[in-house]
Amino acid sequence: MKIKILLAAMLSLLAIAGTGCATQTPVESSSADEPGTLVVYTSRKEAFVEPLLAKFTTDTGIKVEALYADDAVVNRLKEEASRPRADIMIGNDAGALEYLRLQKVLAPLPAPPAGLDSIDPAYRATDGSWFGLSARTRVFIYNKDLITETEMPATIWELTDPQWKGKFAITRGGNGSMVAHVSALRFVWGDEKSEQWIRAVKENAGAITDGHSDIRKAVGAGEFAFGLVNNYYYHLQVREPEDNNVGIIYPDQGQGDMGAMVNAAGVGFVADGPNANSAKTFAEWVLLPENQKEFSGTSLEVPLNPRIEAPEGAAAIDSYKVHALKLSSLGEVWEGTRSLIERAGLDLELK
Amino acid sequence: MISAVHTLWARAWRGRPPQGWLLLVSLATAILMAAPVLYVGVRALAEDAERWTVLLDERIPALLWNTVSLAAVVGLSAGVLGLSLAWLVARTDLPWRQTLRWLVAIPLAVPPYVGAMTYVVVFGPRGWVSDIVGSTPIDMYSFAGAAFVLSIFTYPYVFLVAGSAVGRMGRAHEDVARSLGLGRFAVLRRVTLPLLRPATGAGIVLVVLYVLSDFGAVALLRYSTLTSAIYYQMGGFDTGAAAILSVVLIALTLVVLGVEASTRRRARFYESSGAAQSPRRIELGRLRWPAFIYVATVFLFAGLMPLMVLGYWTAQGLLIDGLDPRFLQFALNTLQAAGLAAAVAMFLAVPVVYLRSRHASVPAAVIERLAHAGYALPGVIVALGVIFFSLRLAPVVYGTALMLSIAYVIRFLPQAMQSASASLELVSPRIDEAARVAGLRPLGVIVKVISRLIAPGVLAGGALVFVSSAKELPATLLLRPAGFDTLAIRVWVEASDGAYHLAAPPALVMVLLSLLPLKWMLDRFREA
Repeated sequence: MKIKILLAAMLSLLAIAGTGCATQTPVESSSADEPGTLVVYTSRKEAFVEPLLAKFTTDTGIKVEALYADDAVVNRLKEEASRPRADIMIGNDAGALEYLRLQKVLAPLPAPPAGLDSIDPAYRATDGSWFGLSARTRVFIYNKDLITETEMPATIWELTDPQWKGKFAITRGGNGSMVAHVSALRFVWGDEKSEQWIRAVKENAGAITDGHSDIRKAVGAGEFAFGLVNNYYYHLQVREPEDNNVGIIYPDQGQGDMGAMVNAAGVGFVADGPNANSAKTFAEWVLLPENQKEFSGTSLEVPLNPRIEAPEGAAAIDSYKVHALKLSSLGEVWEGTRSLIERAGLDLELK
Repeated sequence: MISAVHTLWARAWRGRPPQGWLLLVSLATAILMAAPVLYVGVRALAEDAERWTVLLDERIPALLWNTVSLAAVVGLSAGVLGLSLAWLVARTDLPWRQTLRWLVAIPLAVPPYVGAMTYVVVFGPRGWVSDIVGSTPIDMYSFAGAAFVLSIFTYPYVFLVAGSAVGRMGRAHEDVARSLGLGRFAVLRRVTLPLLRPATGAGIVLVVLYVLSDFGAVALLRYSTLTSAIYYQMGGFDTGAAAILSVVLIALTLVVLGVEASTRRRARFYESSGAAQSPRRIELGRLRWPAFIYVATVFLFAGLMPLMVLGYWTAQGLLIDGLDPRFLQFALNTLQAAGLAAAVAMFLAVPVVYLRSRHASVPAAVIERLAHAGYALPGVIVALGVIFFSLRLAPVVYGTALMLSIAYVIRFLPQAMQSASASLELVSPRIDEAARVAGLRPLGVIVKVISRLIAPGVLAGGALVFVSSAKELPATLLLRPAGFDTLAIRVWVEASDGAYHLAAPPALVMVLLSLLPLKWMLDRFREA
């Protein structure tokens, strides 16, 4: 009797597992004529990407299997390079995308997708392995109850001023946006001055957080007067039901200043991904104007293509002065910047 | 010559060499369990000496200190909590002790990362307490926060193990001490507590091993340990460094196991069997109600409050968004990955356990030990091993849901083995002999007779593997294929994002799921 129960239990478990495997295992590569599936790895938040992918499935019939795994996707793509599982990487940092291209993990599509010209060449890989779609500009978010626009620092360098000691928050050194930002500073200032900046800012910062959500919430709640974030965190905080009396400063806008650092979120193509046709379909689909808009979507990032309407209240990309750095040069300095940050004493991870 | 080999072979097995197939299956299991872990070691040793020195100089000292200090503090406080609770509910006239015995075991069903999430909700900056009072009594994102949360969600290990020892104590030792003139508290201090030391120590070792392996709770509380560093190193661009840190963590784990083994050898106590009478119940007198308040407070913080937070946010979630339409798929994915792991673990446990029991010898013990390799190790390391291993040697498996189940089996097979073994010990080897005499072949003995007799134990072990797998977080995070999210993943993703109304429903399902085997575990520890 008992053995029958045992066997029945085991068999039913195996049956469940078996059917599950049959329906879900994404190993099989689709044949050339059917659209089939698209495997997407993304370091972006699920809330930003999921609606876009759902629309893609509705529009094209192609089923999407998505992996939301923060920065871990970069490493996972690298580990799998000999046997790629993903077709598309949706990244939130051009540095990581370019790094993957240099590692030969990303490669261009056989032919450039229609619509690629709508993206400024400064925001895409030279060979088309990836292109940016929405801007993440480095800005100050400030609490209007604690500080006025005129009192606020106007440049990134002013963060080193001792008068701001304890008044602002930054992220840990290893945060992708921070790494890219420091790379941009190195480009203008050179290593020595950049290192000096990191040391002083680390000393001055009132808090060093894991990500930017904490900064916007803390500044909104008045724990700090201001913080260094990406622009869309300001837009997110303004839309909060409370703690929303915050302002935004695009730094370094004066004559001769370097301009605000713009990073890009975008799409990269995995070399030898299993569903090449789906990848091509996705590239052309996402470059359609309505989908470029959808890509920024709930993230409240600003489209890199100035002809696409920006979210309400957001400054369009051509309305402020932008740092001259070409994003595709971020990849090669990536590791160098990380070690510079670590050397200057700002921990990459929170301890 | 051949006969000499035969003699040696037979001697190694103490005259009872196993059937070829039995040995083959067991050995294959053992190798499968140990291989990924060995692979991590190989990968680490292949790294440049320079990488090692950089890490050894810059990162490892701080991480090691973070990890060891946390493990020590949590081990100590969980030890005090677990032992005191076990003693109070089992030996004293505490009010409602039968009910409390159940209630204080409940935190075992709350995965520590879920517990950590509820504490962030209540005591975090911008949490409930800070909204009402304006400040928080404890900074959750600190050593103290991590130590507190881990202590209250791991003390049940000590509570259960020490509790079983309390239950087995006879009255003889204490009576002798009383008759020699010792007062009540002197008896407690000089007789009872020393008698409970081995069991408490064993419980504390489980706690310490857990702390070494924990990823979710420390990560949510933003405290860095070796395990979380390994995970985030995987998130950086650097598996080599992850492998090196893993070797350090493996070494630390081995040290803990070594200390445990040596203390166990030194401290052995025996109850004279036979006429052992159950010990006298101790009257707490004036301390009866203060003791009750103490136990109730522990339950409040470790059981009631987390469950209420989960209940509140689950209700909120259902009211705000309704149930996520993908919820059923997440639950099915969990069922599939954990169910397959449980089924495989039940199949694999029987041959290994049978070999160890019926062919007791050095080789059998080695095989059994190897099959334990993944058990003491953190999920991140097992995941790292499975990734390396499958990419190089079994690329077909890589990137499929099967990887998850393999990692779960490696990690939790020993739970099925312990359970099957406990049942098998109760089956006399004479039954095997009788079955042979009745004409069954050795395979038939296992399939038709033994499996039937130990089925309850095997099933219970399978249930444990299922629940542990369903709750497992770090290996699942690292190994899941695209489009295959489980309940544990959803809790993690939503909680990291502060979307507690979406994190709570799957968390509550996991807690309720974990309550099922709890009754069985409590009973087993009482009998043991």
